[in-house]
Amino acid sequence: MTDTTMLQSQVYDAISALLEDTSRKVGDDTPLLGDGSLLDSMKLVELCLSLEDLASGLGFEFDWTSDVAMSKSRSMFRTAGALAGEFISQMDAKK
Amino acid sequence: MIVVTGASKGLGRAICDRLLTKDFEVFGLARNVTGTPFPSMSCDVSSYEAVKAVVQKLKKDGVKITGLINAAGIASMNLAVTTPPAVSQNIVQTNLLGTIFCCQLIAPLMLRHKAGAIINFSTIAVALGLKGESIYAASKAGVEGFTRAFAREMADFNVTVNCVAPGPIDTNLLKGVSPLQVGRIVAQQIIPRQFTPDAVSDLVELLLDSRSSSLSGQVLHVGGA
Repeated sequence: MTDTTMLQSQVYDAISALLEDTSRKVGDDTPLLGDGSLLDSMKLVELCLSLEDLASGLGFEFDWTSDVAMSKSRSMFRTAGALAGEFISQMDAKK
Repeated sequence: MIVVTGASKGLGRAICDRLLTKDFEVFGLARNVTGTPFPSMSCDVSSYEAVKAVVQKLKKDGVKITGLINAAGIASMNLAVTTPPAVSQNIVQTNLLGTIFCCQLIAPLMLRHKAGAIINFSTIAVALGLKGESIYAASKAGVEGFTRAFAREMADFNVTVNCVAPGPIDTNLLKGVSPLQVGRIVAQQIIPRQFTPDAVSDLVELLLDSRSSSLSGQVLHVGGA
């Protein structure tokens, strides 16, 4: 498993850990915001805190207030895959 | 630990002094913290990056934050039409955006343990629409609106968010306001007498106490308005 795949898997695990319906599978296209999303606003904040901890363990600071969070079309929260991608991108940028 | 902004003087300092007498741990923020007799850090709350640096330090130190008191603020008593744009920007940047920055960056430290109290500061100038304070009142009206909505966002995490709105309290913020003007404002309060920083500190203590956990999104007027 590559580092990227492993990190993506860790982000998906963090999302899964917050789901009430544990049978739901988290994948690249799983929506996090809007219609059909898995998380309410409280869970979304909890996810951010969880990813902050994960990032801290990896030696970087995960910024969940970046401009990317605000864009509807590019929001890091639009899908699980987008979130994992942004997480990995922030880690790479801060290395 | 309670984080207090505007901790070097005025109401912020009075609140810090009171909390210390009640055995709270206080961490003060102010632009100049020289000589502050409690743990503190220099921070201009109008700068998002400066507040972020404070949060990074608090995280690094591993302290548990249980309260945030946003007492930092500036005022300029002028007619809106005679106020330079830089002054208007500075007032909004410090009073409104400073409060927002501190809330959005420091609140997550409380969300982690699902407990805490945030106390913002407004002014009687909002409720009374005081002449000569329109820009200051606008910045603080923003704080009140933010407080009410942010309180809902924080409610899931057992963090209360309230606002204290004092009348004219005898601090540096009142310099330039004549005793006659102060008297006119005080006369419009429901309790028409000038209160001291002690009255404000009493309310802060109340809002930090778990017995006020049913209060959130409220604006409490010192003296009544």
